[in-house]
Amino acid sequence: MMKKAFLLGLVSGLLAGITAIAYQRVYGASLGADFKTILTPALLLAAGAFAGILAATLYTALISVLKKRGELAFNFLFTILSFGSILAAFAIKLPLDMEAPELFPGLAVPMLFFPALAWHTLKPLLNLGYEDRKRAAKL
Amino acid sequence: MKKIILPVLSLFLLGALLAFAVPTGWAIARNHSIAFTTSGVSGIFKTFSGTIAFDEANPAASRFDVTIDVASINTGNGLQNKHAKSADWFNAATYPSIRFTSKKFVKSGAAYLVTGDLTVHGITREASLPFTFRKTPAGGLFTGTFAINRTDFRIGAPGGEVGEVIKLAVSVPVTKK
Repeated sequence: MMKKAFLLGLVSGLLAGITAIAYQRVYGASLGADFKTILTPALLLAAGAFAGILAATLYTALISVLKKRGELAFNFLFTILSFGSILAAFAIKLPLDMEAPELFPGLAVPMLFFPALAWHTLKPLLNLGYEDRKRAAKL
Repeated sequence: MKKIILPVLSLFLLGALLAFAVPTGWAIARNHSIAFTTSGVSGIFKTFSGTIAFDEANPAASRFDVTIDVASINTGNGLQNKHAKSADWFNAATYPSIRFTSKKFVKSGAAYLVTGDLTVHGITREASLPFTFRKTPAGGLFTGTFAINRTDFRIGAPGGEVGEVIKLAVSVPVTKK
Protein backbone atom coordinates (compact mmCIF):
# COMPACT_ATOMS: atom_id res chain seq x y z
CA MET A 1 0.00 0.00 0.00
CA MET A 2 2.80 2.36 0.92
CA LYS A 3 4.56 1.71 -2.38
CA LYS A 4 1.35 2.37 -4.33
CA ALA A 5 0.69 5.56 -2.37
CA PHE A 6 4.17 6.89 -3.06
CA LEU A 7 3.93 5.94 -6.73
CA LEU A 8 0.62 7.77 -6.92
CA GLY A 9 2.13 10.75 -5.10
CA LEU A 10 5.08 10.96 -7.45
CA VAL A 11 3.11 10.44 -10.67
CA SER A 12 0.29 12.78 -9.69
CA GLY A 13 2.83 15.36 -8.49
CA LEU A 14 4.68 15.26 -11.81
CA LEU A 15 1.36 15.47 -13.66
CA ALA A 16 0.48 18.53 -11.56
CA GLY A 17 3.85 20.03 -12.45
CA ILE A 18 3.36 19.43 -16.18
CA THR A 19 -0.15 20.90 -16.00
CA ALA A 20 1.25 23.94 -14.17
CA ILE A 21 3.85 24.47 -16.91
CA ALA A 22 1.13 24.29 -19.58
CA TYR A 23 -1.10 26.66 -17.60
CA GLN A 24 1.77 29.12 -17.15
CA ARG A 25 2.30 29.22 -20.92
CA VAL A 26 -1.39 29.86 -21.58
CA TYR A 27 -1.53 32.51 -18.82
CA GLY A 28 1.60 34.25 -20.08
CA ALA A 29 0.39 34.25 -23.70
CA SER A 30 -3.05 35.61 -22.85
CA LEU A 31 -2.12 38.23 -20.24
CA GLY A 32 1.47 39.03 -21.10
CA ALA A 33 2.57 38.36 -17.55
CA ASP A 34 5.94 36.68 -17.42
CA PHE A 35 6.87 35.00 -14.14
CA LYS A 36 9.08 32.32 -15.73
CA THR A 37 12.13 33.57 -13.86
CA ILE A 38 10.47 32.73 -10.53
CA LEU A 39 8.30 29.78 -11.47
CA THR A 40 10.75 27.88 -13.63
CA PRO A 41 9.64 24.56 -15.22
CA ALA A 42 12.12 22.71 -12.97
CA LEU A 43 10.67 24.38 -9.87
CA LEU A 44 7.09 23.58 -10.90
CA LEU A 45 7.95 19.91 -11.46
CA ALA A 46 9.90 19.70 -8.19
CA ALA A 47 7.12 21.45 -6.25
CA GLY A 48 4.53 19.11 -7.78
CA ALA A 49 6.58 16.03 -6.91
CA PHE A 50 7.17 17.34 -3.38
CA ALA A 51 3.45 17.98 -2.88
CA GLY A 52 2.65 14.48 -4.20
CA ILE A 53 5.17 12.76 -1.90
CA LEU A 54 3.89 14.82 1.03
CA ALA A 55 0.33 13.78 0.20
CA ALA A 56 1.39 10.12 -0.03
CA THR A 57 3.08 10.31 3.39
CA LEU A 58 0.01 11.93 4.90
CA TYR A 59 -2.29 9.41 3.23
CA THR A 60 -0.30 6.40 4.45
CA ALA A 61 -0.14 7.77 7.97
CA LEU A 62 -3.86 8.60 8.17
CA ILE A 63 -4.98 5.24 6.69
CA SER A 64 -2.81 3.31 9.12
CA VAL A 65 -4.03 5.33 12.13
CA LEU A 66 -7.69 5.98 11.30
CA LYS A 67 -8.33 2.91 9.08
CA LYS A 68 -11.65 3.40 7.21
CA ARG A 69 -11.97 7.08 8.19
CA GLY A 70 -8.41 7.82 7.14
CA GLU A 71 -9.40 8.41 3.55
CA LEU A 72 -12.10 10.92 4.48
CA ALA A 73 -9.71 12.71 6.84
CA PHE A 74 -7.05 12.79 4.13
CA ASN A 75 -9.42 14.22 1.52
CA PHE A 76 -10.52 16.96 3.90
CA LEU A 77 -6.94 17.73 4.93
CA PHE A 78 -5.65 17.82 1.34
CA THR A 79 -8.43 20.20 0.32
CA ILE A 80 -7.97 22.43 3.38
CA LEU A 81 -4.21 22.60 2.82
CA SER A 82 -4.74 23.43 -0.86
CA PHE A 83 -7.14 26.26 0.06
CA GLY A 84 -4.85 27.45 2.86
CA SER A 85 -1.89 27.73 0.52
CA ILE A 86 -3.77 30.44 -1.40
CA LEU A 87 -2.70 32.86 1.32
CA ALA A 88 0.93 32.31 0.41
CA ALA A 89 0.24 33.18 -3.23
CA PHE A 90 -1.24 36.53 -2.17
CA ALA A 91 1.35 37.29 0.50
CA ILE A 92 4.48 36.51 -1.55
CA LYS A 93 6.85 39.41 -2.26
CA LEU A 94 8.27 39.19 -5.75
CA PRO A 95 11.59 40.65 -6.90
CA LEU A 96 11.16 44.38 -7.51
CA ASP A 97 12.16 44.17 -11.17
CA MET A 98 9.19 41.89 -11.80
CA GLU A 99 6.42 43.62 -13.75
CA ALA A 100 2.74 43.47 -12.72
CA PRO A 101 2.97 41.50 -9.44
CA GLU A 102 -0.81 41.89 -9.12
CA LEU A 103 -1.15 39.23 -11.83
CA PHE A 104 0.86 36.66 -9.85
CA PRO A 105 -1.99 35.25 -7.69
CA GLY A 106 -4.03 34.62 -10.86
CA LEU A 107 -1.22 32.37 -12.03
CA ALA A 108 -0.25 30.72 -8.76
CA VAL A 109 -3.64 30.08 -7.12
CA PRO A 110 -5.00 27.56 -9.66
CA MET A 111 -1.64 25.77 -9.62
CA LEU A 112 -2.03 25.13 -5.90
CA PHE A 113 -4.99 22.88 -6.61
CA PHE A 114 -3.28 20.84 -9.33
CA PRO A 115 -1.67 18.29 -6.95
CA ALA A 116 -5.03 17.50 -5.32
CA LEU A 117 -6.77 17.29 -8.71
CA ALA A 118 -4.09 15.01 -10.13
CA TRP A 119 -4.13 12.80 -7.01
CA HIS A 120 -7.89 12.31 -7.12
CA THR A 121 -7.84 11.79 -10.90
CA LEU A 122 -5.23 9.04 -10.80
CA LYS A 123 -6.15 7.39 -7.51
CA PRO A 124 -8.87 5.02 -8.89
CA LEU A 125 -6.29 3.58 -11.32
CA LEU A 126 -4.21 2.26 -8.44
CA ASN A 127 -7.06 0.77 -6.33
CA LEU A 128 -5.61 2.47 -3.34
CA GLY A 129 -8.70 3.03 -1.15
CA TYR A 130 -9.31 1.33 2.17
CA GLU A 131 -12.15 -0.72 0.69
CA ASP A 132 -9.90 -1.77 -2.22
CA ARG A 133 -7.29 -2.99 0.24
CA LYS A 134 -9.93 -4.89 2.22
CA ARG A 135 -11.27 -6.49 -0.95
CA ALA A 136 -7.77 -7.48 -2.03
CA ALA A 137 -7.07 -9.02 1.38
CA LYS A 138 -10.21 -11.22 1.09
CA LEU A 139 -9.05 -12.56 -2.28
CA MET B 1 38.28 99.30 -36.82
CA LYS B 2 38.88 99.66 -33.06
CA LYS B 3 35.24 100.63 -32.69
CA ILE B 4 34.18 97.23 -34.02
CA ILE B 5 36.77 95.07 -32.27
CA LEU B 6 35.85 96.19 -28.76
CA PRO B 7 32.11 95.30 -28.90
CA VAL B 8 32.86 92.01 -30.67
CA LEU B 9 35.47 91.10 -28.05
CA SER B 10 33.07 92.05 -25.26
CA LEU B 11 30.34 89.88 -26.74
CA PHE B 12 32.74 86.98 -27.12
CA LEU B 13 33.86 87.29 -23.48
CA LEU B 14 30.28 87.55 -22.27
CA GLY B 15 29.35 84.45 -24.28
CA ALA B 16 32.30 82.54 -22.84
CA LEU B 17 31.36 83.60 -19.31
CA LEU B 18 27.74 82.54 -19.82
CA ALA B 19 28.87 79.19 -21.21
CA PHE B 20 30.81 78.55 -18.03
CA ALA B 21 28.06 79.88 -15.76
CA VAL B 22 25.30 77.67 -17.19
CA PRO B 23 25.64 74.24 -15.55
CA THR B 24 25.78 71.07 -17.60
CA GLY B 25 22.42 69.61 -18.52
CA TRP B 26 22.07 65.89 -17.76
CA ALA B 27 19.59 63.39 -19.15
CA ILE B 28 18.32 60.76 -16.71
CA ALA B 29 19.32 57.27 -17.83
CA ARG B 30 16.84 54.40 -17.75
CA ASN B 31 18.57 52.27 -15.13
CA HIS B 32 17.86 54.65 -12.25
CA SER B 33 16.70 53.37 -8.89
CA ILE B 34 14.46 55.11 -6.38
CA ALA B 35 14.14 52.64 -3.51
CA PHE B 36 12.32 53.11 -0.22
CA THR B 37 12.33 51.10 2.97
CA THR B 38 10.47 51.34 6.22
CA SER B 39 9.41 48.79 8.76
CA GLY B 40 6.71 46.64 7.22
CA VAL B 41 7.18 47.58 3.58
CA SER B 42 9.84 48.32 1.00
CA GLY B 43 9.90 48.87 -2.73
CA ILE B 44 10.80 51.11 -5.62
CA PHE B 45 9.36 53.83 -7.80
CA LYS B 46 10.00 52.84 -11.39
CA THR B 47 9.29 56.10 -13.20
CA PHE B 48 11.52 59.07 -12.50
CA SER B 49 11.88 62.04 -14.84
CA GLY B 50 12.73 65.71 -14.93
CA THR B 51 15.51 68.13 -15.66
CA ILE B 52 18.90 68.08 -14.01
CA ALA B 53 21.43 70.85 -14.53
CA PHE B 54 24.47 70.37 -12.41
CA ASP B 55 28.05 71.54 -12.44
CA GLU B 56 30.53 70.30 -9.87
CA ALA B 57 32.59 73.45 -10.27
CA ASN B 58 29.58 75.69 -9.85
CA PRO B 59 26.96 73.95 -7.73
CA ALA B 60 25.25 77.22 -6.83
CA ALA B 61 24.02 77.59 -10.42
CA SER B 62 22.72 74.03 -10.55
CA ARG B 63 19.06 73.10 -10.69
CA PHE B 64 16.98 69.98 -10.10
CA ASP B 65 13.35 69.72 -11.07
CA VAL B 66 12.46 66.06 -10.83
CA THR B 67 9.25 64.07 -10.62
CA ILE B 68 8.39 60.58 -9.48
CA ASP B 69 5.29 58.90 -10.88
CA VAL B 70 3.38 57.63 -7.82
CA ALA B 71 1.54 55.00 -9.88
CA SER B 72 4.89 53.38 -10.72
CA ILE B 73 5.32 52.18 -7.13
CA ASN B 74 6.29 48.53 -6.86
CA THR B 75 6.54 46.75 -3.52
CA GLY B 76 6.76 43.32 -5.14
CA ASN B 77 3.25 42.47 -3.98
CA GLY B 78 0.14 43.29 -6.01
CA LEU B 79 -2.11 43.87 -3.00
CA GLN B 80 0.42 46.18 -1.36
CA ASN B 81 0.83 48.13 -4.62
CA LYS B 82 -2.91 48.64 -4.87
CA HIS B 83 -3.10 49.69 -1.24
CA ALA B 84 -0.17 52.11 -1.59
CA LYS B 85 -1.84 53.84 -4.55
CA SER B 86 -5.22 54.06 -2.79
CA ALA B 87 -6.67 57.09 -1.02
CA ASP B 88 -5.51 55.62 2.32
CA TRP B 89 -1.86 56.18 1.33
CA PHE B 90 -0.45 58.08 -1.66
CA ASN B 91 -3.82 58.68 -3.37
CA ALA B 92 -2.25 58.35 -6.81
CA ALA B 93 -5.46 59.32 -8.60
CA THR B 94 -5.52 62.78 -6.97
CA TYR B 95 -1.77 63.29 -6.43
CA PRO B 96 -0.11 61.44 -9.30
CA SER B 97 3.41 62.74 -8.74
CA ILE B 98 6.07 63.46 -6.15
CA ARG B 99 8.09 66.54 -7.11
CA PHE B 100 11.30 68.07 -5.93
CA THR B 101 12.39 71.51 -7.10
CA SER B 102 15.76 72.75 -5.94
CA LYS B 103 16.37 76.20 -4.49
CA LYS B 104 19.90 76.06 -3.15
CA PHE B 105 23.00 73.88 -3.50
CA VAL B 106 25.81 73.71 -0.98
CA LYS B 107 29.02 71.74 -1.33
CA SER B 108 29.90 69.89 1.85
CA GLY B 109 33.21 68.03 1.61
CA ALA B 110 32.96 65.47 -1.16
CA ALA B 111 29.16 65.61 -1.10
CA TYR B 112 26.50 68.21 -1.78
CA LEU B 113 23.38 69.34 -0.03
CA VAL B 114 20.43 70.47 -2.08
CA THR B 115 17.60 72.35 -0.45
CA GLY B 116 14.30 72.65 -2.23
CA ASP B 117 10.57 72.12 -2.20
CA LEU B 118 9.41 68.55 -1.89
CA THR B 119 5.78 67.98 -2.82
CA VAL B 120 4.26 64.69 -1.77
CA HIS B 121 0.55 63.87 -1.47
CA GLY B 122 -0.26 67.50 -2.38
CA ILE B 123 1.75 68.89 0.54
CA THR B 124 4.87 70.96 -0.10
CA ARG B 125 7.63 71.17 2.47
CA GLU B 126 11.18 72.38 2.33
CA ALA B 127 13.65 69.51 2.40
CA SER B 128 17.42 69.27 2.36
CA LEU B 129 18.73 66.20 0.58
CA PRO B 130 22.39 65.15 0.69
CA PHE B 131 23.85 63.59 -2.44
CA THR B 132 27.09 62.73 -4.15
CA PHE B 133 28.06 63.00 -7.77
CA ARG B 134 30.78 61.15 -9.61
CA LYS B 135 31.72 61.07 -13.24
CA THR B 136 31.38 57.77 -15.06
CA PRO B 137 32.43 56.73 -18.57
CA ALA B 138 28.79 57.11 -19.67
CA GLY B 139 28.31 60.49 -17.97
CA GLY B 140 27.72 60.70 -14.25
CA LEU B 141 26.01 59.15 -11.27
CA PHE B 142 24.01 60.90 -8.58
CA THR B 143 23.50 58.94 -5.37
CA GLY B 144 21.85 59.90 -2.14
CA THR B 145 20.15 58.49 0.92
CA PHE B 146 17.80 60.41 3.12
CA ALA B 147 14.70 59.96 5.22
CA ILE B 148 11.30 61.61 5.26
CA ASN B 149 8.52 61.32 7.78
CA ARG B 150 5.34 60.17 6.05
CA THR B 151 3.13 61.89 8.62
CA ASP B 152 4.61 65.26 7.53
CA PHE B 153 2.89 64.63 4.21
CA ARG B 154 -0.20 62.93 5.65
CA ILE B 155 0.58 59.64 3.93
CA GLY B 156 -1.40 56.95 5.73
CA ALA B 157 -2.60 57.15 9.30
CA PRO B 158 0.00 57.75 12.01
CA GLY B 159 1.22 54.60 13.74
CA GLY B 160 0.24 51.16 12.52
CA GLU B 161 2.45 48.47 11.06
CA VAL B 162 4.15 50.72 8.52
CA GLY B 163 6.95 52.83 10.00
CA GLU B 164 6.61 56.61 9.94
CA VAL B 165 10.17 57.30 8.83
CA ILE B 166 10.72 56.25 5.24
CA LYS B 167 14.32 55.84 4.10
CA LEU B 168 15.00 56.60 0.47
CA ALA B 169 18.01 55.47 -1.51
CA VAL B 170 18.39 57.19 -4.85
CA SER B 171 20.77 56.23 -7.60
CA VAL B 172 20.44 58.19 -10.83
CA PRO B 173 22.84 57.58 -13.69
CA VAL B 174 22.91 60.45 -16.16
CA THR B 175 24.31 61.19 -19.56
CA LYS B 176 25.34 64.57 -20.91
CA LYS B 177 22.67 66.30 -22.99
